[in-house]
Amino acid sequence: MTFAIKVQNLSKRYIIQHGTPAGSLKELVEHYRRKFFYKLTPKFKDAGPDPYEVTHEEFWALKDVSFEIAKGAKLGVLGRNGAGKSTLLKVLSHITEPTAGRILIDGEISSLLEMGTGFHPELSGRENIFLNGAILGMGRTEILRKFDEIVAFSEIEKFIDTPYKRYSSGMQVRLAFSVAAHLDPDIMILDEVLAVGDVAFQKKCLKKMEAISNSGATIIFVNHGVEAIKQFCNQAIVLDHGRLVLNTTDIDQAIALYLGDS
Amino acid sequence: MYIIEAGARTQHYWKSLWARRSLLYYLTRKDLIVRYKQTFVGVSWVLIRPFLTMVVFTVIFGAIANLDSNGLPYGFVVFAGVLPWYLFANLFSETSGSLITNGAMLRKVYCPRLIFPAAILLVGLVDFAVSFFLLVVMMFWYHITPSWQIIFFPLFILMAGSTAIGLGLIAATLNVKYRDFQQLVPFLLQMGMYISPVGYLNQLVAKHWEFVYSLNPLAGIINGFRWCLTPDSIPLYTLGLWYSIGFSIAALLIGITVFRLAEDGFADTI
Repeated sequence: MTFAIKVQNLSKRYIIQHGTPAGSLKELVEHYRRKFFYKLTPKFKDAGPDPYEVTHEEFWALKDVSFEIAKGAKLGVLGRNGAGKSTLLKVLSHITEPTAGRILIDGEISSLLEMGTGFHPELSGRENIFLNGAILGMGRTEILRKFDEIVAFSEIEKFIDTPYKRYSSGMQVRLAFSVAAHLDPDIMILDEVLAVGDVAFQKKCLKKMEAISNSGATIIFVNHGVEAIKQFCNQAIVLDHGRLVLNTTDIDQAIALYLGDS
Repeated sequence: MYIIEAGARTQHYWKSLWARRSLLYYLTRKDLIVRYKQTFVGVSWVLIRPFLTMVVFTVIFGAIANLDSNGLPYGFVVFAGVLPWYLFANLFSETSGSLITNGAMLRKVYCPRLIFPAAILLVGLVDFAVSFFLLVVMMFWYHITPSWQIIFFPLFILMAGSTAIGLGLIAATLNVKYRDFQQLVPFLLQMGMYISPVGYLNQLVAKHWEFVYSLNPLAGIINGFRWCLTPDSIPLYTLGLWYSIGFSIAALLIGITVFRLAEDGFADTI
Protein backbone atom coordinates (compact mmCIF):
# COMPACT_ATOMS: atom_id res chain seq x y z
CA MET A 1 0.00 0.00 0.00
CA THR A 2 1.31 3.45 -0.85
CA PHE A 3 1.28 6.24 1.64
CA ALA A 4 -0.19 9.71 1.43
CA ILE A 5 1.80 11.10 4.31
CA LYS A 6 4.83 9.69 6.04
CA VAL A 7 5.98 11.42 9.20
CA GLN A 8 9.50 10.59 10.35
CA ASN A 9 10.81 11.49 13.81
CA LEU A 10 8.97 14.76 13.80
CA SER A 11 9.70 17.18 16.63
CA LYS A 12 8.65 20.72 17.24
CA ARG A 13 10.19 22.84 19.94
CA TYR A 14 8.87 26.14 21.16
CA ILE A 15 11.01 28.46 23.19
CA ILE A 16 9.07 30.09 25.96
CA GLN A 17 10.71 33.34 26.85
CA HIS A 18 10.31 34.76 30.31
CA GLY A 19 11.16 38.38 30.86
CA THR A 20 10.29 40.00 27.58
CA PRO A 21 6.53 39.87 27.54
CA ALA A 22 6.13 42.45 24.81
CA GLY A 23 9.34 41.65 22.98
CA SER A 24 9.95 45.32 22.37
CA LEU A 25 13.15 47.07 21.44
CA LYS A 26 13.27 48.89 24.74
CA GLU A 27 13.46 45.68 26.68
CA LEU A 28 16.06 44.30 24.36
CA VAL A 29 18.26 47.35 24.80
CA GLU A 30 17.70 47.38 28.55
CA HIS A 31 18.59 43.71 28.77
CA TYR A 32 21.95 44.17 27.10
CA ARG A 33 22.66 47.35 29.04
CA ARG A 34 22.21 45.50 32.31
CA LYS A 35 24.25 42.56 31.12
CA PHE A 36 27.05 44.95 30.22
CA PHE A 37 27.07 46.76 33.56
CA TYR A 38 26.71 43.52 35.40
CA LYS A 39 30.12 42.49 34.07
CA LEU A 40 31.76 45.84 34.78
CA THR A 41 30.59 46.43 38.30
CA PRO A 42 30.35 43.47 40.66
CA LYS A 43 28.34 45.63 43.01
CA PHE A 44 25.60 45.84 40.46
CA LYS A 45 24.52 42.44 41.72
CA ASP A 46 23.31 43.97 44.94
CA ALA A 47 20.93 46.23 43.07
CA GLY A 48 18.37 43.48 43.26
CA PRO A 49 16.91 41.09 40.72
CA ASP A 50 16.96 42.15 37.12
CA PRO A 51 13.41 42.79 35.96
CA TYR A 52 14.53 42.58 32.36
CA GLU A 53 16.33 39.30 32.75
CA VAL A 54 15.54 36.93 29.96
CA THR A 55 15.28 33.24 30.64
CA HIS A 56 14.36 30.61 28.16
CA GLU A 57 12.39 27.50 28.68
CA GLU A 58 12.07 24.76 26.13
CA PHE A 59 8.77 23.22 25.37
CA TRP A 60 8.47 20.25 23.07
CA ALA A 61 5.03 20.40 21.50
CA LEU A 62 5.93 17.32 19.46
CA LYS A 63 8.66 14.88 20.28
CA ASP A 64 9.88 12.20 17.93
CA VAL A 65 6.57 11.42 16.31
CA SER A 66 6.53 8.92 13.46
CA PHE A 67 3.57 7.46 11.65
CA GLU A 68 2.27 6.76 8.20
CA ILE A 69 -1.09 7.36 6.60
CA ALA A 70 -2.11 5.22 3.68
CA LYS A 71 -3.79 6.73 0.66
CA GLY A 72 -7.52 7.01 1.25
CA ALA A 73 -7.27 6.44 5.00
CA LYS A 74 -9.20 8.53 7.48
CA LEU A 75 -7.02 9.31 10.43
CA GLY A 76 -8.42 10.59 13.68
CA VAL A 77 -6.04 12.42 16.01
CA LEU A 78 -6.87 12.10 19.70
CA GLY A 79 -5.29 13.73 22.70
CA ARG A 80 -5.97 16.10 25.53
CA ASN A 81 -5.50 19.84 25.37
CA GLY A 82 -1.83 20.55 24.89
CA ALA A 83 -1.03 17.08 23.64
CA GLY A 84 0.27 18.49 20.36
CA LYS A 85 -2.68 17.91 18.03
CA SER A 86 -2.87 21.43 16.70
CA THR A 87 0.88 21.69 16.37
CA LEU A 88 0.91 18.47 14.38
CA LEU A 89 -1.71 19.82 12.01
CA LYS A 90 0.15 23.11 11.66
CA VAL A 91 3.38 21.37 10.79
CA LEU A 92 1.61 19.10 8.31
CA SER A 93 -0.07 22.15 6.76
CA HIS A 94 3.31 23.79 6.28
CA ILE A 95 2.28 26.76 8.42
CA THR A 96 5.07 26.27 10.89
CA GLU A 97 8.45 24.67 10.45
CA PRO A 98 9.44 21.48 12.30
CA THR A 99 12.46 21.58 14.60
CA ALA A 100 13.58 18.10 13.63
CA GLY A 101 12.47 15.26 11.45
CA ARG A 102 10.71 15.29 8.13
CA ILE A 103 7.42 14.75 6.40
CA LEU A 104 6.91 13.17 3.01
CA ILE A 105 3.71 14.15 1.32
CA ASP A 106 2.33 12.55 -1.80
CA GLY A 107 -0.49 14.66 -3.15
CA GLU A 108 -2.03 18.04 -2.74
CA ILE A 109 -2.93 19.11 0.78
CA SER A 110 -5.73 21.39 1.82
CA SER A 111 -6.02 22.29 5.42
CA LEU A 112 -8.90 23.80 7.31
CA LEU A 113 -7.64 24.89 10.67
CA GLU A 114 -10.29 27.50 11.06
CA MET A 115 -13.44 28.27 9.19
CA GLY A 116 -13.72 31.48 7.26
CA THR A 117 -10.08 32.52 7.33
CA GLY A 118 -9.74 35.73 5.41
CA PHE A 119 -13.43 36.48 5.03
CA HIS A 120 -13.85 40.22 4.75
CA PRO A 121 -16.90 41.79 6.43
CA GLU A 122 -17.33 44.55 3.85
CA LEU A 123 -17.38 42.26 0.84
CA SER A 124 -20.47 40.49 -0.45
CA GLY A 125 -20.99 36.77 -0.01
CA ARG A 126 -20.11 36.34 -3.67
CA GLU A 127 -16.79 38.17 -3.41
CA ASN A 128 -15.99 36.29 -0.22
CA ILE A 129 -16.51 32.93 -1.88
CA PHE A 130 -13.88 33.84 -4.45
CA LEU A 131 -11.50 35.30 -1.90
CA ASN A 132 -11.81 32.43 0.56
CA GLY A 133 -11.64 29.85 -2.21
CA ALA A 134 -8.38 31.40 -3.39
CA ILE A 135 -7.04 31.46 0.17
CA LEU A 136 -7.80 27.77 0.54
CA GLY A 137 -5.93 27.06 -2.66
CA MET A 138 -8.53 26.94 -5.41
CA GLY A 139 -7.82 28.52 -8.75
CA ARG A 140 -10.11 31.03 -10.38
CA THR A 141 -11.61 28.65 -12.91
CA GLU A 142 -12.14 26.02 -10.27
CA ILE A 143 -14.13 28.44 -8.11
CA LEU A 144 -16.16 29.61 -11.10
CA ARG A 145 -17.01 26.02 -11.91
CA LYS A 146 -18.14 25.22 -8.38
CA PHE A 147 -19.70 28.55 -7.58
CA ASP A 148 -23.37 27.59 -8.01
CA GLU A 149 -22.88 24.41 -6.06
CA ILE A 150 -21.26 26.28 -3.18
CA VAL A 151 -24.05 28.82 -3.02
CA ALA A 152 -26.74 26.13 -3.15
CA PHE A 153 -25.07 24.12 -0.42
CA SER A 154 -24.85 27.10 1.91
CA GLU A 155 -28.57 27.89 1.46
CA ILE A 156 -28.02 31.62 1.22
CA GLU A 157 -28.85 32.21 -2.44
CA LYS A 158 -31.01 35.20 -1.62
CA PHE A 159 -28.28 37.05 0.23
CA ILE A 160 -25.33 36.27 -1.97
CA ASP A 161 -24.79 39.93 -2.88
CA THR A 162 -25.33 41.21 0.65
CA PRO A 163 -22.23 42.27 2.60
CA TYR A 164 -20.90 39.46 4.74
CA LYS A 165 -21.13 41.58 7.90
CA ARG A 166 -24.93 41.62 7.57
CA TYR A 167 -25.10 37.82 7.73
CA SER A 168 -26.21 36.08 10.89
CA SER A 169 -23.47 34.04 12.51
CA GLY A 170 -25.22 30.88 11.31
CA MET A 171 -25.15 32.10 7.74
CA GLN A 172 -21.49 33.03 8.09
CA VAL A 173 -20.39 29.57 9.17
CA ARG A 174 -22.59 27.92 6.56
CA LEU A 175 -20.98 29.94 3.81
CA ALA A 176 -17.53 29.25 5.21
CA PHE A 177 -18.14 25.51 5.40
CA SER A 178 -19.62 25.41 1.92
CA VAL A 179 -16.51 26.90 0.38
CA ALA A 180 -14.30 24.54 2.36
CA ALA A 181 -16.42 21.50 1.54
CA HIS A 182 -15.98 22.06 -2.16
CA LEU A 183 -12.25 21.76 -2.16
CA ASP A 184 -11.22 18.47 -3.61
CA PRO A 185 -7.68 17.87 -2.52
CA ASP A 186 -5.89 14.53 -2.30
CA ILE A 187 -5.31 15.09 1.40
CA MET A 188 -7.54 17.09 3.67
CA ILE A 189 -6.68 18.30 7.16
CA LEU A 190 -9.59 19.25 9.39
CA ASP A 191 -9.42 20.82 12.82
CA GLU A 192 -12.66 20.73 14.77
CA VAL A 193 -14.66 22.15 11.96
CA LEU A 194 -17.80 20.13 12.27
CA ALA A 195 -19.27 22.17 15.07
CA VAL A 196 -21.11 24.50 12.74
CA GLY A 197 -24.72 25.44 12.18
CA ASP A 198 -27.83 23.73 13.43
CA VAL A 199 -28.32 19.99 13.69
CA ALA A 200 -29.68 19.67 10.19
CA PHE A 201 -26.72 21.51 8.71
CA GLN A 202 -24.28 19.46 10.77
CA LYS A 203 -25.76 16.29 9.33
CA LYS A 204 -25.38 17.74 5.89
CA CYS A 205 -21.75 18.53 6.64
CA LEU A 206 -21.02 15.04 7.85
CA LYS A 207 -22.61 13.62 4.73
CA LYS A 208 -20.54 15.88 2.56
CA MET A 209 -17.41 14.80 4.37
CA GLU A 210 -18.29 11.18 3.81
CA ALA A 211 -18.76 11.91 0.15
CA ILE A 212 -15.35 13.55 0.02
CA SER A 213 -13.71 10.64 1.75
CA ASN A 214 -15.49 8.11 -0.44
CA SER A 215 -14.01 9.86 -3.44
CA GLY A 216 -10.66 8.48 -2.27
CA ALA A 217 -9.24 11.49 -0.46
CA THR A 218 -7.06 11.00 2.58
CA ILE A 219 -8.39 12.78 5.64
CA ILE A 220 -6.76 13.83 8.87
CA PHE A 221 -9.27 14.81 11.45
CA VAL A 222 -9.04 16.35 14.91
CA ASN A 223 -12.11 16.42 17.03
CA HIS A 224 -12.95 16.31 20.67
CA GLY A 225 -16.23 14.64 19.87
CA VAL A 226 -15.36 10.97 20.13
CA GLU A 227 -18.53 9.98 18.28
CA ALA A 228 -17.52 11.72 15.07
CA ILE A 229 -14.18 9.95 15.10
CA LYS A 230 -15.78 6.60 15.76
CA GLN A 231 -18.19 7.08 12.94
CA PHE A 232 -15.77 8.47 10.47
CA CYS A 233 -12.22 7.22 10.93
CA ASN A 234 -10.51 3.94 10.21
CA GLN A 235 -7.20 4.78 11.80
CA ALA A 236 -6.41 6.70 14.97
CA ILE A 237 -3.37 8.05 16.75
CA VAL A 238 -3.26 9.19 20.36
CA LEU A 239 -0.88 11.94 21.42
CA ASP A 240 0.17 12.71 24.94
CA HIS A 241 2.54 15.53 25.86
CA GLY A 242 3.87 15.66 22.35
CA ARG A 243 4.57 11.94 22.10
CA LEU A 244 2.79 9.38 20.03
CA VAL A 245 1.42 6.78 22.43
CA LEU A 246 -0.76 4.75 20.12
CA ASN A 247 -1.21 4.23 16.41
CA THR A 248 -3.92 1.76 15.57
CA THR A 249 -6.73 0.81 13.24
CA ASP A 250 -8.80 -0.24 16.24
CA ILE A 251 -10.71 2.97 16.88
CA ASP A 252 -12.39 1.68 20.04
CA GLN A 253 -9.02 0.91 21.61
CA ALA A 254 -7.76 4.41 20.82
CA ILE A 255 -10.87 6.01 22.23
CA ALA A 256 -10.66 3.90 25.38
CA LEU A 257 -7.07 5.00 25.89
CA TYR A 258 -7.94 8.62 25.26
CA LEU A 259 -10.92 8.57 27.64
CA GLY A 260 -8.97 6.68 30.28
CA ASP A 261 -6.26 9.30 29.95
CA SER A 262 -8.54 12.20 30.61
CA MET B 1 6.29 14.02 -3.73
CA TYR B 2 6.74 16.96 -1.46
CA ILE B 3 9.12 16.98 1.50
CA ILE B 4 8.95 19.22 4.54
CA GLU B 5 12.19 18.94 6.42
CA ALA B 6 13.53 20.69 9.49
CA GLY B 7 15.90 23.48 8.57
CA ALA B 8 15.42 22.99 4.84
CA ARG B 9 14.23 25.72 2.57
CA THR B 10 10.77 25.55 1.12
CA GLN B 11 10.88 23.71 -2.16
CA HIS B 12 9.82 25.29 -5.44
CA TYR B 13 9.12 28.62 -3.75
CA TRP B 14 8.72 30.76 -6.85
CA LYS B 15 6.78 28.07 -8.62
CA SER B 16 4.30 27.83 -5.79
CA LEU B 17 4.04 31.60 -5.69
CA TRP B 18 3.03 31.51 -9.33
CA ALA B 19 0.61 28.66 -8.65
CA ARG B 20 -1.19 30.88 -6.16
CA ARG B 21 -1.65 33.76 -8.58
CA SER B 22 -5.42 33.63 -8.22
CA LEU B 23 -4.94 34.37 -4.51
CA LEU B 24 -2.86 37.38 -5.50
CA TYR B 25 -5.65 38.48 -7.81
CA TYR B 26 -8.39 38.18 -5.19
CA LEU B 27 -6.33 39.79 -2.41
CA THR B 28 -5.67 42.76 -4.68
CA ARG B 29 -9.28 42.84 -5.73
CA LYS B 30 -10.43 42.78 -2.11
CA ASP B 31 -8.31 45.80 -1.22
CA LEU B 32 -9.44 47.70 -4.27
CA ILE B 33 -13.13 46.94 -3.73
CA VAL B 34 -12.99 47.85 -0.07
CA ARG B 35 -11.18 51.09 -0.88
CA TYR B 36 -12.93 52.22 -4.01
CA LYS B 37 -16.47 50.98 -3.63
CA GLN B 38 -17.32 50.72 -0.02
CA THR B 39 -15.73 53.66 1.72
CA PHE B 40 -17.75 56.82 1.77
CA VAL B 41 -15.51 59.09 -0.25
CA GLY B 42 -14.09 56.14 -2.18
CA VAL B 43 -11.76 56.93 -5.02
CA SER B 44 -11.47 60.59 -4.11
CA TRP B 45 -9.30 59.70 -1.11
CA VAL B 46 -6.53 58.68 -3.42
CA LEU B 47 -6.77 62.11 -5.04
CA ILE B 48 -7.46 64.29 -2.01
CA ARG B 49 -4.32 63.38 -0.10
CA PRO B 50 -1.73 64.23 -2.75
CA PHE B 51 -3.80 67.18 -3.93
CA LEU B 52 -3.99 68.84 -0.51
CA THR B 53 -0.32 68.12 0.13
CA MET B 54 0.43 69.82 -3.17
CA VAL B 55 -1.65 72.88 -2.24
CA VAL B 56 -0.03 73.26 1.17
CA PHE B 57 3.52 72.77 -0.14
CA THR B 58 2.92 75.17 -3.02
CA VAL B 59 1.78 77.85 -0.60
CA ILE B 60 4.63 77.28 1.85
CA PHE B 61 7.55 76.71 -0.51
CA GLY B 62 6.32 78.57 -3.57
CA ALA B 63 4.37 81.54 -2.29
CA ILE B 64 5.84 82.16 1.17
CA ALA B 65 9.45 80.95 0.87
CA ASN B 66 9.42 81.94 -2.80
CA LEU B 67 11.75 79.15 -3.91
CA ASP B 68 12.92 78.84 -7.49
CA SER B 69 11.04 76.43 -9.76
CA ASN B 70 13.17 76.66 -12.95
CA GLY B 71 10.42 78.58 -14.71
CA LEU B 72 7.78 75.90 -14.18
CA PRO B 73 4.49 76.51 -12.35
CA TYR B 74 5.25 75.77 -8.70
CA GLY B 75 2.13 73.65 -8.22
CA PHE B 76 3.24 71.34 -11.02
CA VAL B 77 6.75 71.02 -9.61
CA VAL B 78 5.33 70.01 -6.25
CA PHE B 79 2.75 67.61 -7.64
CA ALA B 80 5.36 65.86 -9.78
CA GLY B 81 7.27 65.31 -6.52
CA VAL B 82 4.28 64.39 -4.38
CA LEU B 83 3.19 61.55 -6.69
CA PRO B 84 6.37 59.45 -6.58
CA TRP B 85 6.70 60.25 -2.88
CA TYR B 86 3.25 58.89 -2.09
CA LEU B 87 3.84 55.89 -4.30
CA PHE B 88 6.95 55.13 -2.25
CA ALA B 89 5.47 56.06 1.15
CA ASN B 90 2.25 54.06 0.73
CA LEU B 91 4.04 50.97 -0.54
CA PHE B 92 6.66 51.16 2.20
CA SER B 93 4.28 51.63 5.11
CA GLU B 94 1.72 49.08 3.88
CA THR B 95 4.40 46.48 3.21
CA SER B 96 5.97 46.99 6.61
CA GLY B 97 2.61 46.32 8.27
CA SER B 98 1.47 43.58 5.91
CA LEU B 99 2.37 40.63 8.13
CA ILE B 100 0.64 42.09 11.17
CA THR B 101 -2.46 42.91 9.14
CA ASN B 102 -2.60 39.40 7.76
CA GLY B 103 -1.56 37.80 11.04
CA ALA B 104 -4.71 35.72 11.40
CA MET B 105 -4.23 34.28 7.95
CA LEU B 106 -0.56 33.67 8.54
CA ARG B 107 -1.36 31.40 11.45
CA LYS B 108 -4.10 29.45 9.72
CA VAL B 109 -3.22 29.00 6.09
CA TYR B 110 -0.05 28.32 4.16
CA CYS B 111 0.89 30.34 1.15
CA PRO B 112 4.20 31.85 0.05
CA ARG B 113 4.07 34.95 2.24
CA LEU B 114 5.55 37.18 -0.44
CA ILE B 115 2.04 37.19 -1.85
CA PHE B 116 0.95 39.85 0.65
CA PRO B 117 3.55 42.44 -0.39
CA ALA B 118 2.88 41.53 -4.02
CA ALA B 119 -0.81 42.39 -3.59
CA ILE B 120 0.19 45.66 -1.92
CA LEU B 121 2.38 46.51 -4.90
CA LEU B 122 -0.51 45.99 -7.33
CA VAL B 123 -2.93 48.06 -5.23
CA GLY B 124 -0.30 50.80 -4.91
CA LEU B 125 0.19 50.91 -8.67
CA VAL B 126 -3.56 51.28 -9.23
CA ASP B 127 -3.68 54.12 -6.70
CA PHE B 128 -0.74 55.71 -8.45
CA ALA B 129 -2.44 55.46 -11.84
CA VAL B 130 -5.53 57.19 -10.46
CA SER B 131 -3.57 60.09 -9.00
CA PHE B 132 -1.42 60.25 -12.11
CA PHE B 133 -4.56 61.15 -13.99
CA LEU B 134 -4.69 64.37 -11.99
CA LEU B 135 -1.13 65.16 -13.04
CA VAL B 136 -2.08 64.69 -16.68
CA VAL B 137 -4.97 67.13 -16.21
CA MET B 138 -2.53 69.56 -14.63
CA MET B 139 -0.13 69.28 -17.56
CA PHE B 140 -2.93 70.09 -19.97
CA TRP B 141 -3.91 73.06 -17.84
CA TYR B 142 -0.38 74.48 -17.86
CA HIS B 143 0.27 73.46 -21.49
CA ILE B 144 3.23 71.27 -20.59
CA THR B 145 3.99 68.81 -23.38
CA PRO B 146 6.30 65.90 -22.62
CA SER B 147 9.11 64.99 -25.00
CA TRP B 148 10.60 61.62 -25.91
CA GLN B 149 12.19 61.34 -22.45
CA ILE B 150 8.79 60.24 -21.20
CA ILE B 151 9.73 56.69 -22.22
CA PHE B 152 11.91 56.50 -19.07
CA PHE B 153 8.90 57.12 -16.88
CA PRO B 154 8.18 53.42 -16.13
CA LEU B 155 11.79 53.03 -15.02
CA PHE B 156 11.29 55.53 -12.20
CA ILE B 157 8.01 53.96 -11.15
CA LEU B 158 9.84 50.65 -10.99
CA MET B 159 12.63 52.18 -8.91
CA ALA B 160 10.23 53.79 -6.44
CA GLY B 161 8.33 50.50 -6.18
CA SER B 162 11.33 48.26 -5.65
CA THR B 163 12.94 50.62 -3.10
CA ALA B 164 9.68 50.77 -1.16
CA ILE B 165 8.99 47.04 -1.28
CA GLY B 166 12.60 46.14 -0.46
CA LEU B 167 12.80 48.39 2.58
CA GLY B 168 9.23 47.43 3.48
CA LEU B 169 10.10 43.71 3.53
CA ILE B 170 12.97 44.35 5.94
CA ALA B 171 10.70 46.46 8.16
CA ALA B 172 7.93 43.84 7.98
CA THR B 173 10.33 41.10 9.07
CA LEU B 174 11.53 43.19 12.02
CA ASN B 175 7.97 44.20 12.80
CA VAL B 176 7.00 40.60 13.45
CA LYS B 177 9.42 40.47 16.34
CA TYR B 178 9.73 44.08 17.44
CA ARG B 179 6.50 45.98 17.13
CA ASP B 180 8.38 49.25 17.64
CA PHE B 181 8.84 49.47 13.90
CA GLN B 182 5.16 50.13 13.59
CA GLN B 183 5.76 53.40 15.39
CA LEU B 184 9.01 54.12 13.64
CA VAL B 185 7.83 53.84 10.05
CA PRO B 186 5.28 56.73 10.04
CA PHE B 187 7.85 58.90 11.77
CA LEU B 188 10.55 58.07 9.22
CA LEU B 189 8.15 58.84 6.40
CA GLN B 190 7.20 62.15 7.91
CA MET B 191 10.85 63.17 8.10
CA GLY B 192 11.55 61.71 4.69
CA MET B 193 9.00 63.94 3.04
CA TYR B 194 11.04 66.99 4.01
CA ILE B 195 14.52 65.67 3.33
CA SER B 196 13.41 64.43 -0.09
CA PRO B 197 12.87 66.97 -2.85
CA VAL B 198 9.07 66.80 -2.65
CA GLY B 199 8.20 70.43 -1.99
CA TYR B 200 11.25 71.90 -3.70
CA LEU B 201 13.69 71.15 -6.49
CA ASN B 202 16.83 69.24 -5.58
CA GLN B 203 18.72 71.74 -7.78
CA LEU B 204 18.34 74.19 -4.88
CA VAL B 205 20.64 72.13 -2.68
CA ALA B 206 24.05 73.79 -2.31
CA LYS B 207 26.89 72.23 -4.31
CA HIS B 208 28.95 71.08 -1.34
CA TRP B 209 25.93 69.27 0.09
CA GLU B 210 25.09 67.54 -3.14
CA PHE B 211 26.88 64.31 -2.41
CA VAL B 212 25.29 63.93 1.03
CA TYR B 213 21.93 64.82 -0.41
CA SER B 214 22.18 62.18 -3.13
CA LEU B 215 22.47 59.49 -0.45
CA ASN B 216 18.71 59.70 -0.06
CA PRO B 217 17.56 57.25 -2.75
CA LEU B 218 14.34 59.20 -3.21
CA ALA B 219 16.27 62.26 -4.43
CA GLY B 220 17.33 60.56 -7.64
CA ILE B 221 13.90 59.01 -8.17
CA ILE B 222 11.87 62.18 -7.65
CA ASN B 223 14.24 64.19 -9.81
CA GLY B 224 13.90 61.51 -12.46
CA PHE B 225 10.11 61.86 -12.43
CA ARG B 226 10.34 65.58 -13.04
CA TRP B 227 13.03 65.18 -15.65
CA CYS B 228 10.92 62.67 -17.65
CA LEU B 229 8.00 65.05 -17.79
CA THR B 230 9.89 68.31 -18.39
CA PRO B 231 13.44 67.56 -19.61
CA ASP B 232 13.92 71.12 -20.88
CA SER B 233 13.47 72.74 -17.49
CA ILE B 234 14.73 70.08 -15.09
CA PRO B 235 18.28 68.76 -15.61
CA LEU B 236 19.00 65.13 -14.86
CA TYR B 237 20.53 64.55 -11.44
CA THR B 238 23.14 62.08 -12.65
CA LEU B 239 24.88 61.41 -9.35
CA GLY B 240 21.60 60.73 -7.55
CA LEU B 241 20.24 58.71 -10.46
CA TRP B 242 22.99 56.08 -10.52
CA TYR B 243 22.94 55.80 -6.78
CA SER B 244 19.17 55.36 -6.76
CA ILE B 245 19.28 52.68 -9.43
CA GLY B 246 21.84 50.74 -7.40
CA PHE B 247 19.97 51.29 -4.18
CA SER B 248 16.61 50.16 -5.53
CA ILE B 249 18.04 46.91 -6.87
CA ALA B 250 20.02 46.20 -3.70
CA ALA B 251 17.06 47.06 -1.45
CA LEU B 252 14.78 44.64 -3.26
CA LEU B 253 17.29 41.79 -3.26
CA ILE B 254 18.23 42.24 0.39
CA GLY B 255 14.57 42.68 1.35
CA ILE B 256 13.53 39.44 -0.32
CA THR B 257 16.48 37.55 1.19
CA VAL B 258 15.80 38.78 4.72
CA PHE B 259 12.10 38.10 4.38
CA ARG B 260 12.62 34.59 3.10
CA LEU B 261 15.15 33.70 5.78
CA ALA B 262 12.64 34.63 8.48
CA GLU B 263 9.53 33.49 6.67
CA ASP B 264 9.25 29.99 8.08
CA GLY B 265 9.24 31.37 11.61
CA PHE B 266 6.60 34.05 11.08
CA ALA B 267 3.69 31.92 12.23
CA ASP B 268 5.48 31.14 15.50
CA THR B 269 6.71 34.62 16.39
CA ILE B 270 3.91 36.88 15.25
